Amino acid sequence: MTLGKSNITRRRFLKSAAAAGAASLAMPAIVRAQPSQYIIGASLPMTGPFATAGQLIAPSLKMFEAFTNQAGGIGGVPIRVAVEDSGYVAQNALANYQRLLASEGDAVIGYFGDSTGFMKLVAPELKGAQARLMSSTSFASELANPETNPYQFMAGPTYEDQFDILLQNIAAEGGKSVAFIHSNTEFGLDPIEFGKKRAAELGIEVKLVEATKAQGADVATHVTKLAQADAEYCILQGYVTGVWPQLIGGARQFGLPTKFMGTFWGMEKLIADRVTAEAGPFLDGYQGVMPYRYFYDSEEAPRYQQMAAFSKEHFAGTPLENYMPTWGLQAMLSLDLLAMTLAKTAEAGKELTADNAAAMLSEIKDHDTGGFFGPNATIKNNKIGIGRVYQYSAESKLFTPTSDWLEV
Amino acid sequence: MQFAQFVINGLMAGALYALIAIGIVAVYKSTRVVNFAHGYMIMIGAYLYYTFAVLIPDMTWAPSWLSSWTPEWVAQARVGAKMFSPTAALYDWIPNIPRIVFGLAGAIIGSGLLALFIERYLMRPLLGQSNFSMIMVTVGLISVLSGFKSLLWTGDAASVPHLTPNPAFRLDFFGTPIFIFGANFMSMIIAALIFGFIVYWLRHSSAGVAIRAVSEDQSTAYSMGINVPRVFAQAWLIAAATGAVAGAVLSARDGVSPSLGLFGFSVLAIVLMGGLDSFVGVFIAAMLVGVLEALVQWQMGGTWVEIAPYVAVLIVILIRPHGLMGQPEVERI
Amino acid sequence: MIIGNRKVSYLEDEKILNNGYKKAFVYTMIALAIALPFFADDYTILMASLVGIMLIAVVGVNVVIGYTGLLSLGHAGFVAIGAYSVSIIHNVLGHWGVPDIVHPWVALPGAMAVAALIGILVGLPSLRVKGIYLAVATLSANFIIIFLIEIDTFSQWTGGRLGLTTPDPNFFGWVLDSQREVYVLIAIFSFATILMVQNLFRTRIGRAFVAIREKDYSAEILGVSLLKYKLTSFAISAAFCGLAGAMAAYFYAKILPEQFELALSLQLVAALIVGGMGRTMGPVYGTIIIVLVPELLKIGMGAMMGNSIEAAQLRAPIQEIVFGALIIGFVLFEPLGISQIMDRFFRALNRWPFARG
Repeated sequence: MTLGKSNITRRRFLKSAAAAGAASLAMPAIVRAQPSQYIIGASLPMTGPFATAGQLIAPSLKMFEAFTNQAGGIGGVPIRVAVEDSGYVAQNALANYQRLLASEGDAVIGYFGDSTGFMKLVAPELKGAQARLMSSTSFASELANPETNPYQFMAGPTYEDQFDILLQNIAAEGGKSVAFIHSNTEFGLDPIEFGKKRAAELGIEVKLVEATKAQGADVATHVTKLAQADAEYCILQGYVTGVWPQLIGGARQFGLPTKFMGTFWGMEKLIADRVTAEAGPFLDGYQGVMPYRYFYDSEEAPRYQQMAAFSKEHFAGTPLENYMPTWGLQAMLSLDLLAMTLAKTAEAGKELTADNAAAMLSEIKDHDTGGFFGPNATIKNNKIGIGRVYQYSAESKLFTPTSDWLEV
Repeated sequence: MQFAQFVINGLMAGALYALIAIGIVAVYKSTRVVNFAHGYMIMIGAYLYYTFAVLIPDMTWAPSWLSSWTPEWVAQARVGAKMFSPTAALYDWIPNIPRIVFGLAGAIIGSGLLALFIERYLMRPLLGQSNFSMIMVTVGLISVLSGFKSLLWTGDAASVPHLTPNPAFRLDFFGTPIFIFGANFMSMIIAALIFGFIVYWLRHSSAGVAIRAVSEDQSTAYSMGINVPRVFAQAWLIAAATGAVAGAVLSARDGVSPSLGLFGFSVLAIVLMGGLDSFVGVFIAAMLVGVLEALVQWQMGGTWVEIAPYVAVLIVILIRPHGLMGQPEVERI
Repeated sequence: MIIGNRKVSYLEDEKILNNGYKKAFVYTMIALAIALPFFADDYTILMASLVGIMLIAVVGVNVVIGYTGLLSLGHAGFVAIGAYSVSIIHNVLGHWGVPDIVHPWVALPGAMAVAALIGILVGLPSLRVKGIYLAVATLSANFIIIFLIEIDTFSQWTGGRLGLTTPDPNFFGWVLDSQREVYVLIAIFSFATILMVQNLFRTRIGRAFVAIREKDYSAEILGVSLLKYKLTSFAISAAFCGLAGAMAAYFYAKILPEQFELALSLQLVAALIVGGMGRTMGPVYGTIIIVLVPELLKIGMGAMMGNSIEAAQLRAPIQEIVFGALIIGFVLFEPLGISQIMDRFFRALNRWPFARG
């Protein structure tokens, strides 16, 4: 049997099956091409270990829906953000994605994933009609690669970039030694190898690399190891709400002088405020890298002001009325970039396929986000390599910048 | 001498394992049910403690003495104490006493009611049926409890007050600094005391004798006039109460989180390692695994710790099928 | 009282499909499965494939739990072994330059063999311990298998936590790279698996399993070698789970270790209990229920609450509660599972309008 011949049988089978499938849906082809409503799907961890994050992000996605529709949707077509729970299980998120495509078809124009795991699981599935432009909560370094992951982008720097920014900052302050404590997940492990290499280049000694459970870690043992390692700085990676505050609290109780630093997911003001209220002001001086401005930093940020006015109305009476968490900002910016790309694709008279959208995405240069970033954003390697270091003050309960915007 | 540090850490963790294990052994001894869902009952206990010790006292309608009981002398003493010093830890703890007591009471009563319900409506209908059915009911309970948990409480990894003051001690042990959290040390003492009390109670009280008689032979015990259903209820209550205390201690140490449920599986492994019906064997196994985990954490890092109890139990079961000190079951055809 | 069955030969007595309605039901289901890829939409294909993959594994679990009476809570480990072995064998063969068309013929039997070997290894404690001890031993084995897949030592083959990109099998020059095509493969194998296990229990081996289930020491006294048959049982069931894993690897473009953790083991056992242990059709009914209940819940809640965020947030907990309640409910009220209910139903149909029950 020759390959060519067998390919024909295969094609024929697929064709007849697809034709039959389409016919069974009894939907004229023209309607499928121009849906009355575009759908952006999202899987969020609304239950499970990172439920706090998922439950804070979900409302901001819905707000984005209202915000965009008020401004006329994408190319005149209104959008709907379809939020699903994944429980932070990559396979559930994949099932959500496949279900959405199977039931809504071409109306789905983009997706927002819940984890690095999902983005990696879905990447090889993104072929032909199954492909959509997507972003996620993840800043995993592996995803920022247009060659292997052409349809996936992130609205910020990778975890490796964030480590880079922190390590540069340590070197600039004259720091000589650092410890890495990370959760025993893909999320925690992501930048560790790079961090070791980068620290060596900068002449910083890595005194300890410690893996902990993502939740319910045995804090006493980890703090002990940190104390014995005697590092000037400690970078925490791979936590959302738990573990990192307890680690810092434990270290402070033993009077360790170690300076703690975090990356994006460990930099939320709501969590820091809550820890301060419940357990005391020991997070004072905690530093970390953040790609965005905090929502209260809205001077010279026209888009933040617009959003603030909108959210005051949209979230009236809820805690989100005056402050949008950084996690929500990240999701908003991701969808914002996604919608902008698609709108531009539509303007250019092209079909809203993942390929066309991905091509349009890579052309975003010197884009003024009107708030999120300090400098103008350029998408390079499907990421935006901008960030700066902030420091938390337990007294003012604010994160304030301690460095200039760094581009990596 | 860092070795000493990790042995101490291991013993402190091991005592908690032992405290959790009481619940599994007590239920098994009297009812022959191995409760796979015990870890999830502890999780519910922890969330109840969180509810009664943090959520309710912080409500606007709660009386102020419940959330922070600060008599004049405490407030004065607190001002003078240095941050993170043992005195400060003590005076930080005193205002929390009402909420800790309220929280513990809520957790124990809530878990107790839950356990009675499970015993009466899920376990007792299966009396006399195969072991398999009972195990599967507890496996089903895992999902039900964890579902109710997510329904009632959000996934916050919130912090809750320690049961005891939590000063940090920095000791010098032959030139090596040794770090001990006061609350962890006190939890070890509390766990050991509860464990000792329950073993003593089983040996010497009439209720304890009844439990042991039922564990020997249910139908004979019944015909000798022992109220077997009451013994079952007692065993489940013991499990619920010790589980609630363990949940409170664990959530104060590591934060309230759903991962407490998974904790139960490693304790199950420990119980089998010690021998299902032997309190002493289980205590030894708990301490061994606690120390083993701490040493693994020290030498090999956090990745390996997760499977340490499972590897240990496999090895022990292969050598001694009924655990370190368990009685082999005699089967007759 | 059961009346109204007239059988005139032993052959008739041994028939599986011993009444017309049952026959009609099974044949309709087979016809539906065959027709599916030609008319069903993507969503139906997705669901049918998930049912098929899980079905193969549950049939395997049925061999150990349902027929041999050994409680295992670690079968997801074997599914993982199958999924990873098949992918690794494909990769290795590709690396050696073996033509694609040969790969599945080596990889599928290879994966099943590896799973069976590991199954024997995990089954070893079953010779010394039973019941709860075995349950915990297998559960531990599941944790350890996942751990070994995740650690750095083997990550060069397994991809570690990052997961492994899986191959698209090439059967007779036909590359199965869409879910619709893989579905056909899954359907064929599910059917073959059910048939094989059904017939296994008409052989000496199968009868030995049942003897062990009823009372292992009695079986031994009657001359059934416990060593041989307990391990055979583990090997067969692990091999089927390995096959299910291989199908999962073909179906998904990538596999992650976390897909094969304890939760899957519990799902497999739950499907078996709900469907009916030690029954041929048990795994079929059970798997359909376990896979489709979440979907029905989603549709039901969507109809009641719309697509609000609150509905999305409530779904997972409710799903978990329903899942647990199904296990508990069946153990308490119908320990023989849905297949018993269905049997009763078919019998009643067959005898209508006469005696029921």
